[in-house]
Amino acid sequence: MQEILLSLLLFTPLLAALVSLFFPATAIQLFRYTTLVANIAQAFFLILLLGSYQNSAGLQFVEHQPWITMDLGSWGTLKAEYFIGIDGLSMPLVVLSVFIMLIATISSWTILKNVKGYFILLLILNTAIIGSFVALDFLLFYLFFEFMLLPMFFLIALWGGPRKEYASIKFFLYTLLGSILILIVMIGLNLSVHDPSISGQLVHSFNIIHMSSPINFISFSILDPHNAWQIGLYNARQWAFLLLFFGFAIKLPMVPFHTWLPDAHVEAPTPISVILAALLLKVGGYGLARIAFPIFPDATIYFGGFIGVMGVISIIYGGLNALSSKDLKRLIAYSSISHMGFVLLGFASLTAEGVVGSIYQMFSHGIISAMLFLLAGVLYDRTNNRMIANYSGLYSKMPWYAVMIIVAFFASMGLPGFSGFIAEIMVFLGAFKSNSVQGPLHESIAITATLGLVLAAAYYLWTLQRMFFGPFNLKGDITSDQMFDLNKREFIMLIPLAAAALFFGIYPQPMIAIIDPFAKHFAEFVIGAGKSLTLNP
Amino acid sequence: MSLSFFVPELVLIVGIILLIGIGLRKKQYPPLLTFLSLLLFSFSFLCYVFTWRIYVTPQKIFNGFLRSDDFSAFLKMLFDVAGILTVLMTWRKQKEQRYLPEYYALLFAIVLGAHLLVMSMNLIMVFISLELISISAYVLTGFSFSKKGAEGSMKYFLFGSVASAVMLYGFSMLYGLTGTLDFSSAEFIDHLLGKNSTLFFIAALMALAGFLYKIAAAPLHLWAPDVYEAAPMPIVAFFSVVPKLAGIGVLTKFILAINIFGQSAFDWQFIISLVSILSLTVGNFSALLQKNPKRLMAYSSIAQSGFLLAGVAAFLPQGVHFMLFYATVYMFVNFLVFVYLQYFESYGFSSLESFSGAGRTHVWPSILILIGFVSLTGLPPTAGFTAKFFVFSSLWEAYHLSGKNILLWLLIFGLLNTVVSLFYYLRIPYYTFIKEAESGTKTNFLAFENLLGFVLVLLVFVLFFYPGLLMGWINKINFVL
Repeated sequence: MQEILLSLLLFTPLLAALVSLFFPATAIQLFRYTTLVANIAQAFFLILLLGSYQNSAGLQFVEHQPWITMDLGSWGTLKAEYFIGIDGLSMPLVVLSVFIMLIATISSWTILKNVKGYFILLLILNTAIIGSFVALDFLLFYLFFEFMLLPMFFLIALWGGPRKEYASIKFFLYTLLGSILILIVMIGLNLSVHDPSISGQLVHSFNIIHMSSPINFISFSILDPHNAWQIGLYNARQWAFLLLFFGFAIKLPMVPFHTWLPDAHVEAPTPISVILAALLLKVGGYGLARIAFPIFPDATIYFGGFIGVMGVISIIYGGLNALSSKDLKRLIAYSSISHMGFVLLGFASLTAEGVVGSIYQMFSHGIISAMLFLLAGVLYDRTNNRMIANYSGLYSKMPWYAVMIIVAFFASMGLPGFSGFIAEIMVFLGAFKSNSVQGPLHESIAITATLGLVLAAAYYLWTLQRMFFGPFNLKGDITSDQMFDLNKREFIMLIPLAAAALFFGIYPQPMIAIIDPFAKHFAEFVIGAGKSLTLNP
Repeated sequence: MSLSFFVPELVLIVGIILLIGIGLRKKQYPPLLTFLSLLLFSFSFLCYVFTWRIYVTPQKIFNGFLRSDDFSAFLKMLFDVAGILTVLMTWRKQKEQRYLPEYYALLFAIVLGAHLLVMSMNLIMVFISLELISISAYVLTGFSFSKKGAEGSMKYFLFGSVASAVMLYGFSMLYGLTGTLDFSSAEFIDHLLGKNSTLFFIAALMALAGFLYKIAAAPLHLWAPDVYEAAPMPIVAFFSVVPKLAGIGVLTKFILAINIFGQSAFDWQFIISLVSILSLTVGNFSALLQKNPKRLMAYSSIAQSGFLLAGVAAFLPQGVHFMLFYATVYMFVNFLVFVYLQYFESYGFSSLESFSGAGRTHVWPSILILIGFVSLTGLPPTAGFTAKFFVFSSLWEAYHLSGKNILLWLLIFGLLNTVVSLFYYLRIPYYTFIKEAESGTKTNFLAFENLLGFVLVLLVFVLFFYPGLLMGWINKINFVL
């Protein structure tokens, strides 16, 4: 059981999707409960997993099976494996995924159109997301990564709002462009990396762990760190890093590749918005930390300052856009972009604190953005209208709703006592320290980034003031009998999220203990390997 | 002696004669004709399966006019499978198809021509087999017996004859330069070695033009959309596979012969890469504007020619292997899409807009055609991804070995075109699933198309998860000039 626990966690939703295929389309309750049961089973497996997880043991629950082994004659052998495992980087994200998918399922009770298709796609998406967090073989990762696109495309395009077609196609094209950039590098890496565990013959491996070690590159191959090709301005390794970086940055999303996100969020149905913000964006950050940085540490150091600056631009540009948004969901989408800027900044600092902060930020933003989008969905369910200017004084009519929104806004703002505070403080610590430990970031970058906190306070407090305080008043064609407070199902979704945001803000130690060993090793490895590769090429 | 390597071709010839003979009778029985064609194609196919080992060693036959080897044998198997699939597609409308015996006889003639073309080692033989394919194809294009059909057929004929004439002119100059028609012979290569004359360049370019015309590569692609729009659906599916793969097969041999292991005075790798880039770009961008599914697939097939050529452009043995893998996957996926286009056509879905709401009434066909389009785009988990991955790998490796910038550009264009192609490949699924329409009655799931489609989809998945099944076989093929 222990050996296949991770696979069980991974494939339970896919199995549920297969079973659901055979139910008649009219059995709406059956689909809902099958999905819920699959989610609860995943939560159960996750608890077993956490029970025997050892913080300092590095990769655990590793499963290693041959998948494709192909003799290519003079080229040697091509080898891809079913290779999954979990460590301090993937554990928080897997925990987050299981938790959020459960909440999203509960939130999907409001979906009434073509229920069968919806839940089957949701289950496939579940497997694809968790798969990309645990895959350690590049081809396997790519399979899961691409497999997120199609279900997501249909979930937005079929169950979305008025401009769903535009939004879904934009989402698909942007992310496909990103994954094509990643594909180029994957091919190059496969041709350049040799599997050291098999001696005597040339085995081209997709193993990410092997790729992360400079000694496994074939001499005189195009990405060989000791002999990289010069193509135009940069050498081949730097190009490869840039391609990977932009590929994942589109997913993250980083300014200026972010324009798909607000559209997708505004048009997507509430549960899909939740998944998009809480999980899909994290795949971008995860890919940077798992693939781009460790495989090309030399290029990471070379472009470190640039990445930090891009992070700061995302923080500030996202914040400014949020400030000027008229639609509540769009505001939250821009605040997501701003918050994902912190992830970039923390990783770019290449210090243990900064990396812990980035991973913690991904985890915490997952919880808080899920809550924010659920709350925006609550309002939309009641009135079909999300314009901030149409509401005022909601506190008197919907007190519990207002309380929840205040909690979520404050958490997202990074107020002490909420998980966002811990994450952002760690990122800043790392960014300030970076220069003194020969990391790539200058202090001025960190100082500029603090502006983001001021902006966050500004747009959240202003929105609170406009929508919730003052005299009760509604504009547009909204009537006051549409406005009623949270119901039981909404409480079931929101209370755990609020509790989690508080818990991980007051007592972050359990999560930090999981992340820390990874972060320390990551920062040391990237700086160490990067410097040594840059100094003696 | 030569005839023992010629059994499948003899089967096809028997098929032509039998079918024309039956056609002379006044009353025909369509199922019998279909069954006979199916039987003969299968027989030809099984010949290769059961006597594969006699094709492994290259063997010149008929005084060096043809050569039997495993590279051509593999392609010939693909043609036979394409023949089988075309007959299966025709089976659904065998009653409506006028002149059914002649229709099948022409199909056999094209497959026979394709067989001969990939075996040809002699320029005369290349011309004759290419004309066998072309002339039969001109006639088959008009087999919907409509005004549009006649127009398409005429256009195909006019363009085609010019291309053939140009090619023949090129051949004659090559003959003048080398004194031999056998393009694999030492004599042919010796005379071209280091030959730095414009005449050689023009002659070879003219000869190439004929092949590029056949595979519908840009800038010789102009006929494709009109012909595809005019011809009956099974014929379109057939055209997009058999003449194209036959053309690619002979082009691979010819281009490697005039390249003379890189000793040629001209950079043929550059020319092929350029044509490939052009086909990809022209095909994909023109497809964006199409409103008719057949024309859309025509442009798609132009772009796919670009990908097939990209495999050849690596000029590596491994590149040829990957091209064969790509060709196999392309054949299955293309037939998958056309089987359902025909199915939808029979329900009156003839323009892209008319597919609106089909996802409700035709659930399974819509899902299976979606998988076909996803595979044509090249997304995992379908074999289309594996095939593209292989082709790009060989390009990357070729770039690494030769350092030619054009190969890097081809790689970049190929990858970016994948994004562009997604946009139009998803047009039909977009209408079927996302656009609403007044819902009709649900159709029966148990249709013959769904069985055939299901088998093809299964192949598409199996070749993704276990590419070794096919690749292991292809890797044993020893490509010799």
